Amino acid sequence: MTLNELKPGQSGKIVRVYANNLRKRIIDMGLTNGTTIKVKKLAPLGDPMEILIRGYFLTLRKAEAKTIEIERIGDKA
Amino acid sequence: MKRIALIGNPNSGKTTLFNGLTGSNQSVGNWPGVTVEKKVGKLKYDQFEAEIIDLPGVYSLSSISLEEEVTTQFILSKSMDLIINIVDASNIERNLFLTHQLLDSEIPMIIALNCMDIAKTKFEEINVPKMESLLGVPVVPITASKKFGLIELIRVIEVAKYEPRFPEKRYSNLIENTISKFESVLGDRLLATRFFEDGFKADKLSKRDSEFIKSLEVVLEEEKAKFDLDFDMVLPNERYNHILSICDQVITKKSVEIESTTDKIDKILTHRIFGLPLFLGIMFSVFFLAFGPVGTFITDGFVWLIEKFISLIAIGIENAGMASWVSSLVINGIFGGLSAVLGFLPQLTILFFFLSLLEDSGYMARAAFIMDRVLRKFGLSGKSFIPMLIGFGCSVPAMAATRTLDKPEDRKITTMIIPFISCGAKAPIYGIIAGAIFASHSYLVVFSMYIIGILVAIFSAVLFKKTILKGASANYIMELPEYRMPTAKNSFLHTWERVKGFLIKAGTILLGAFIIIWFLSYFGFVDGTFRLLLDEEIEFSLLGQLGKFLLPIFKPIGFSDWQSTVAILTGFVAKESIVGTLGILYGVAGDVLESGTLLYPALQAVFTPLQAYSFLVFALLTSPCIAAIAAMKKELGSWKWLLFAVLYELIIAYVAALLIYQLGSLGMGTLLSVLVFVIVIFIVFSTIRRVIKNKGKTCGSCSGCGVEGSCEKIKK
Repeated sequence: MTLNELKPGQSGKIVRVYANNLRKRIIDMGLTNGTTIKVKKLAPLGDPMEILIRGYFLTLRKAEAKTIEIERIGDKA
Repeated sequence: MKRIALIGNPNSGKTTLFNGLTGSNQSVGNWPGVTVEKKVGKLKYDQFEAEIIDLPGVYSLSSISLEEEVTTQFILSKSMDLIINIVDASNIERNLFLTHQLLDSEIPMIIALNCMDIAKTKFEEINVPKMESLLGVPVVPITASKKFGLIELIRVIEVAKYEPRFPEKRYSNLIENTISKFESVLGDRLLATRFFEDGFKADKLSKRDSEFIKSLEVVLEEEKAKFDLDFDMVLPNERYNHILSICDQVITKKSVEIESTTDKIDKILTHRIFGLPLFLGIMFSVFFLAFGPVGTFITDGFVWLIEKFISLIAIGIENAGMASWVSSLVINGIFGGLSAVLGFLPQLTILFFFLSLLEDSGYMARAAFIMDRVLRKFGLSGKSFIPMLIGFGCSVPAMAATRTLDKPEDRKITTMIIPFISCGAKAPIYGIIAGAIFASHSYLVVFSMYIIGILVAIFSAVLFKKTILKGASANYIMELPEYRMPTAKNSFLHTWERVKGFLIKAGTILLGAFIIIWFLSYFGFVDGTFRLLLDEEIEFSLLGQLGKFLLPIFKPIGFSDWQSTVAILTGFVAKESIVGTLGILYGVAGDVLESGTLLYPALQAVFTPLQAYSFLVFALLTSPCIAAIAAMKKELGSWKWLLFAVLYELIIAYVAALLIYQLGSLGMGTLLSVLVFVIVIFIVFSTIRRVIKNKGKTCGSCSGCGVEGSCEKIKK
């Protein structure tokens, strides 16, 4: 599954980042393979999404989130 | 003297540290990328002196925006003796990524571990000596906002070793081998690691001669085969693994994680349902405070003061018995125009102050987050929102703010549409003319100006994107910084920076303009002699002649006298001077500042409502003032683009005013206003509907989402 399919509150581990306009930046911001991501929320209009990664908050569009393959991991409350 | 560069992530408190070290009056903002150009200041402590260079914040040396490019190029040029790398201790994992990139150079380095106060609420402990030994460079804990640790930092700077550092081989053997292979061709470890990550994009390697490129390509292909992972992810992955092991050894996490203040605030401010109304409410409040009763009350008081001051000077001049042209110059020329401009200063100050509060607190990033969905419809990103918002105050800082946008196309589009956003300088034009002509409906007319400006800006953005700037596909990826309490000092500095810019403009360009206008309007040929004219002879003035000459061009859009033509012309010097000029030309100069209402009879005699509306629309949409044109030239980068932008704005303004006046003259005034109203409602409604309809399915079909290539990959 891809990152955009996660619902707020759910977490996942990055399996692969596919090509997109921002691939290099996404990697440098810490979205490397194996990193845990938690979706915090969606913007009031449904997009972009806010994620918690490496202890900080990052926002990105669903279009880019779709290019990030993840595997769902158990939800912590 | 030693040159010391400050390098760190956006929002790591870099500019605050710069101010702390140099004591200079620089602006600081809690908005990723406020430092748009490199700033230089001097550090003086006891006998020690050094030059401190503040560079735009970057997350990585792989730059994607123009301002990031400034930093990367500066580091690759290695033209500094020491790097102070600012690391936000509360966001240490990601901040250390850039640190690792910098550690691959041989430039001497010190780490300033900033925001220790926030870090202490997040972590149990940070073991600084351990961190020093793991990274191999001095680490100084500081809290720049509270000036804590600065003296210690300066002491470390003083005794630092200013000789090339030997970059430690900190990665796995496989990766170190690849780096040394690249290094053997490129001759530099830093450049080798840049090539590892960015390929030929690094340091413009693709522009080297073809033989060199070929030899490099051979090595690249050889090395690529050695890794299973995507090659551009190899080094970042290794770095982050390395960082994780450092963090594990250095940081003691708290046993119970507590909800941070930022979390609590964001639960409300970016709430799914309340987020949008709150955002609109905040924006409305800012403009209401600046331009509503409060702003008007302060402005009135301020104007009263100016008027007292000027009347004192006028009495002084009369008593001194100076030549008639001198008193005319001072009272009619300089003060007549200038007071109209200065009267506008309080409102602008209030606007700038609230904008800086929003920036410093971190809310602006949330505004971009909330607005991205809307602006994307027009081919822009949420980040374009900030420059456009600043555009309501003044186009000049707004255009400078476009440098935080990632793609050159996006920057061009945003820069070219900013002039349509009704800037603060245009407000007095609407206020006075609408007040005179439309009386009780004036606020509707003023409001419609803002709406027309926004609509034309949106229309132009879509037009540019569909035609001449097809490459634009505004990207959006942005960090939401932690909320911070804006400090009074930073907010006032920030506001002062912008107000100062406006005052300098008023004192130089505008002052010059008013003297020229005064000369042109008070001198002329009467019966063959060139002399100072009396007030009732103003028709014979040079400016009057020019206005009369150009009047035929403006007739079709409803201008009926040379005065309004001349006023519009002076608007190219500065929009504020349109009102001042009307004051001078209708011979009520000294009184305009006391109250706009004294201009009312003259305006009512000249303008019909339709003509007034056409005049306002033309003033709104036409080419911006000289200062903004200069800023536009800087951002667009070429005369060709500048000429295009200015011509485009002139033509749009003329066509819009022509349509309004000609259709209006056909007796369709009522019909037209109904039509416009319906269209506006329709646009707003359909946008909202589309946004709601598309909620949650951004990538319904693969075409046009900007990531087509990757969609296919996913399907596979």
